Amino acid sequence: MQKNPYCPIKAKITDIIEETPAIKTFVLRPEKAIPFKTGEFMELTVSGLGEAPFTPSSNPRIEDTMELTIMDVGRVTSRLHKMKKGDVLGVRGPYGKGYPLKDFEGKEVLIVGGGVGLAPLRSLILDLLNDIDRYKKVLIKYGARSPKDIVYKNQVKEWQKNKKLSLELTVDKGDKGWKGNVGLITTLLKKNMGVDIKNSVTIVCGPPVMMKFTTFKLIESGYSDADIYLSMEKNMSCGIGKCGHCRIGPYYSCQDGPVFTYDKIKGYHTIWE
Amino acid sequence: MKERFLKKDDFKKFADALADIYRVYHIRKGRDENLHLLRYSGEVKDAVIGGVRPFEPLKNFFFYAREKVVDGYKDSEEVGEGEDKAFCILGVKNCDLAGLNISDYVFTQGDFKDPFYIRNRERNLIIAADCSKAIDTCFCHAVGNQHYPEKNYDILMSELSAGYLIEAATEKGERVLGRHAELFDAAQRKHSEERDRIRKHAGEEVEKNIKANEIPPYTDYKDIIKENIESEIWQREADACVECGSCNVVCPTCHCFYLVDASRDGDKEVRYKVWDSCMYKRFARVAGGVNPRRHIRERLRNRFEKKFDFFPQVCEYYACTGCGRCFSGCPGKIDIRKILKDLVREKKAKAKT
Ligand SMILES: Cc1cc2nc3c(=O)[nH]c(=O)nc-3n(C[C@H](O)[C@H](O)[C@H](O)COP(=O)(O)OP(=O)(O)OC[C@H]3O[C@@H](n4cnc5c(N)ncnc54)[C@H](O)[C@@H]3O)c2cc1C
Ligand code: FES
Repeated sequence: MQKNPYCPIKAKITDIIEETPAIKTFVLRPEKAIPFKTGEFMELTVSGLGEAPFTPSSNPRIEDTMELTIMDVGRVTSRLHKMKKGDVLGVRGPYGKGYPLKDFEGKEVLIVGGGVGLAPLRSLILDLLNDIDRYKKVLIKYGARSPKDIVYKNQVKEWQKNKKLSLELTVDKGDKGWKGNVGLITTLLKKNMGVDIKNSVTIVCGPPVMMKFTTFKLIESGYSDADIYLSMEKNMSCGIGKCGHCRIGPYYSCQDGPVFTYDKIKGYHTIWE
Repeated sequence: MKERFLKKDDFKKFADALADIYRVYHIRKGRDENLHLLRYSGEVKDAVIGGVRPFEPLKNFFFYAREKVVDGYKDSEEVGEGEDKAFCILGVKNCDLAGLNISDYVFTQGDFKDPFYIRNRERNLIIAADCSKAIDTCFCHAVGNQHYPEKNYDILMSELSAGYLIEAATEKGERVLGRHAELFDAAQRKHSEERDRIRKHAGEEVEKNIKANEIPPYTDYKDIIKENIESEIWQREADACVECGSCNVVCPTCHCFYLVDASRDGDKEVRYKVWDSCMYKRFARVAGGVNPRRHIRERLRNRFEKKFDFFPQVCEYYACTGCGRCFSGCPGKIDIRKILKDLVREKKAKAKT
């Protein structure tokens, strides 16, 4: 652990993958390896500009590099999107609690992602694939705004072919070439979706509105609150439980989250915003 | 530890001796008639040891309003702009000492510690003092605090008519006093009796305030936010808020900050830890403009929830020490005493129906 918890480690951008017009994946090689568990997050520094939190999207078994998939939405992320291979960033972390993979063993794991929310879920999927026989089934439901907004296009194709996974895609709005499902992500969450809900956990990540309606739909389908894992996006600055920005009820999202089971947070107000 | 007595006339010698080692700050009446924490100048004429808390909270000495925490990518705690000499703060009152319960919890506990705060806590010397009176904004007893130091100090200095009753509470404090043994006489029974009389009198003044303002006791605060999430109180009070953040600045327990990166020359990374205010609209805003606390009433409620719900759950304290600074400094005169009164009343009314 760093002596100074506010100080990042330098990391070189070794590759940039353009996923969609607004989303890029950055491959970083930190000067000192920063091992992480899937679901833990990093604070990325653009020198002289500031920081923003991101969850690595890569396989945690790979320790010398990490990938972060980042959507261009504002001040820090737009500067990140202008950076090039060879440029240097800062990384602090990992922070928060990762996905409790042990609790998923022997179960049917239903992964529900929306938009860039597939980033942390990709890391999870890759980690599940590392020991896929420990899980009874892994199902992925992913929704994007349109076919061109789908991230990890090549990997998604691979996953579709992988017999150990079951993947379903949907887009809010199709185009000429699109032959798949059209409709919100909740349309893929039918009562009878081939999951033994009583022996299943579900992991959700996406924009706030998507998380809200997905959660309600999952409950309607029979999931219990304690089996729904949600990634809560709160404003964060320090990432280490000091600055006070990321509070949800009695928790700090940066320490106790960012992944919470719904039963833990449902009693608190404004969780969906 | 041993009780000592310092004559009024020897106070300057004591302050000078402290100033050899420390940057001494003490309480003095400012031109605005308020008490302020100011640098000791060698002049003791208008120093206030008893009295009440100063205008400024103590936290500045441990958690600076703006502190450099990163200078280059060098992993070191030596980047802080801490003074080369440690501080000695003289005359600290219990409402500020109680604030340290919260900041100590925040910065020294948990998986990650703040090395800057810890350094300041270890280096700085706190000489606490009894309140010899109350001003009309004092309500420490209501939130469960005393008007005399209980803990979190090195030396206690109680002002009496002829001098000061002095007692170390830590090894560090005892060492400081031990070095200047020639300044002190042995304390006598009459000294502690006088201190008790002053305490009793000041305590009665606090009680009078609490009664006059009908401030409910902390034993009534459980669930006051939870039971009043949708209360009209928040909007009513928010109407007077101008979002200046002064309540956060003067509060001895407010600890929120954000990290600001400043340098723009190449890969030089310079980062400051700067006080933040939960009353500012951007405080909780996330990307895409989503904001769970868009309205002032939500931010005000959040502030109370943090103080009266969050902290008692994560550590054993309410994050209000009864110092009265937040409404003294508020341009809108938003009064925490009145809000507490109304929250408790509405909670009780709800419980009845
Ligand atoms: C745990 C976690 C994991 C995440 N993982 C991912 C991920 O994998 N991929 C992804 O794309 N996104 C992820 N996000 C979201 C991502 O952190 C935000 O998109 C990012 O913070 C946006 O930063 P921005 O500066 O570009 O946006 P902005 O909208 O400009 O700002 C975002 C935040 O910075 C503050 N801010 C803006 N300007 C200033 C200023 N001048 N001074 C101080 N503060 C300012 C705002 O108040 C706001 O809180 C994650 C978020 C969290 C909490
Ligand atoms: S980000 Fe600072 S407390 Fe969570």
